[in-house]
Amino acid sequence: MTKAFSLSLIILCIASALLQEFGLTRLMLYNVSPDAITVFLAFLAVSAGQRASTSFGFAVGIFTGILSGNMGLNMLSRTVEGFIAGYFHIPEDSHATAKQKKRRFFSAVVFAGFIGNAVFAAGYNPLGLSTAYRVVVLGLLESFITLILAVILHWLFLKKSLVD
Amino acid sequence: MRKFFTLFSKYNTYLLFVIYCGTAFFFIKLQNENVLTRLRNSGMEFSAVINEKLLSITYLFTLNNENERLMRVNTDLLTRVLNFETAAFDERNRRKILTDTTLNPSGYIIARVVDRKFSDRDNMLLINAGWKNGIQKDMTVLVPEGLVGRVTSVSEHYAKVMPVINTDFKASVVSDSSNCMGILSWSGGREFIAQIEHIPISSHLKLNERMVTSDFSTFSVRGIPVGRVVRIKPDKLFFNVDVWLAVDFSSLTQVLIAPLKIEPEKIRISTDSTLAEQFH
Repeated sequence: MTKAFSLSLIILCIASALLQEFGLTRLMLYNVSPDAITVFLAFLAVSAGQRASTSFGFAVGIFTGILSGNMGLNMLSRTVEGFIAGYFHIPEDSHATAKQKKRRFFSAVVFAGFIGNAVFAAGYNPLGLSTAYRVVVLGLLESFITLILAVILHWLFLKKSLVD
Repeated sequence: MRKFFTLFSKYNTYLLFVIYCGTAFFFIKLQNENVLTRLRNSGMEFSAVINEKLLSITYLFTLNNENERLMRVNTDLLTRVLNFETAAFDERNRRKILTDTTLNPSGYIIARVVDRKFSDRDNMLLINAGWKNGIQKDMTVLVPEGLVGRVTSVSEHYAKVMPVINTDFKASVVSDSSNCMGILSWSGGREFIAQIEHIPISSHLKLNERMVTSDFSTFSVRGIPVGRVVRIKPDKLFFNVDVWLAVDFSSLTQVLIAPLKIEPEKIRISTDSTLAEQFH
């Protein structure tokens, strides 16, 4: 990982956390909103590996935890998201096609988002929803709208980075 | 030793993951500790400032000053209504009139809601008044229509409010006509319906009765409207009661914060059993 790449990752990390906290939480659909941090962690996992995505997940969890007031749970769910997304890493010497890389990136978004949401739901349920509804229905819905966000971001910015 | 290092380098990602998760669990456990509270308050302050700036853009097109003036008039009227209702209630029950000194109009603080989160991840209100404005933890938050919630954490300029529509919220309430007492709670679902627990089936609660906060509440001043009874269903020992909340949480912009109810003797005697025994 070059110095410039690390720096751009840190900037991306802060930008996605701020976008999530102050922008995307207002785009509510059935009490869930798209998650820019999951998209960032998935991108990081696919391009830089599981260790980086887990560490960044932990760091971004601290940041969003401070802003939202629920530090421990944010740290845990983001770390788990980064770790799960890490299983979709594409090694540098891989001969994967652009289509395969894209598919792995989207899979990382869906799986990491769903499991991260389930971890959060296990620890905090402010609306008193049933666990099954909270984890399965809202988890799937959140993963789906996060996937839409990932598709848009991939189309706009990430396509070139992933192919490289 | 060599084996250990080989194992470590091979599985370092997993070890890192375990360490991170351990740290996260440690923080979950320390959620209410002082250092963490201070950290959370600073974060909340920062978050609130940004949210307030974002929100203030929309206020450019509203009659903000006029709203505040009307809110002040409303505060005075509310105080008078609450005072009269409490006095009438006391008269009916042959109690002392006007013992409640907490309903003092000058004691109310007006604040604006600068952020509202109602999602599966968070459910709270943020108001633009903090300890510099005299806000303290456990103060009652209300609007002229009724009870909004209670202050749960305070920073210098902002405070976090747990609304009635939070599953952790509980308050003691009483019916204004049949005097049935119960515990107000919210079990999720619709944001305009809450539940009242522990009303025995022998009580004479009727539909459309108005529920107000009771004297038993440890934080709220009495007589604040909570809602209207819309469903009564008998269970084994108690009624399952639904109330239509008096406050419309979807259009909450400004709130009042009532002075803190300080009853140290009441709290002391209800928690300390040995103190009560001394009088026998």
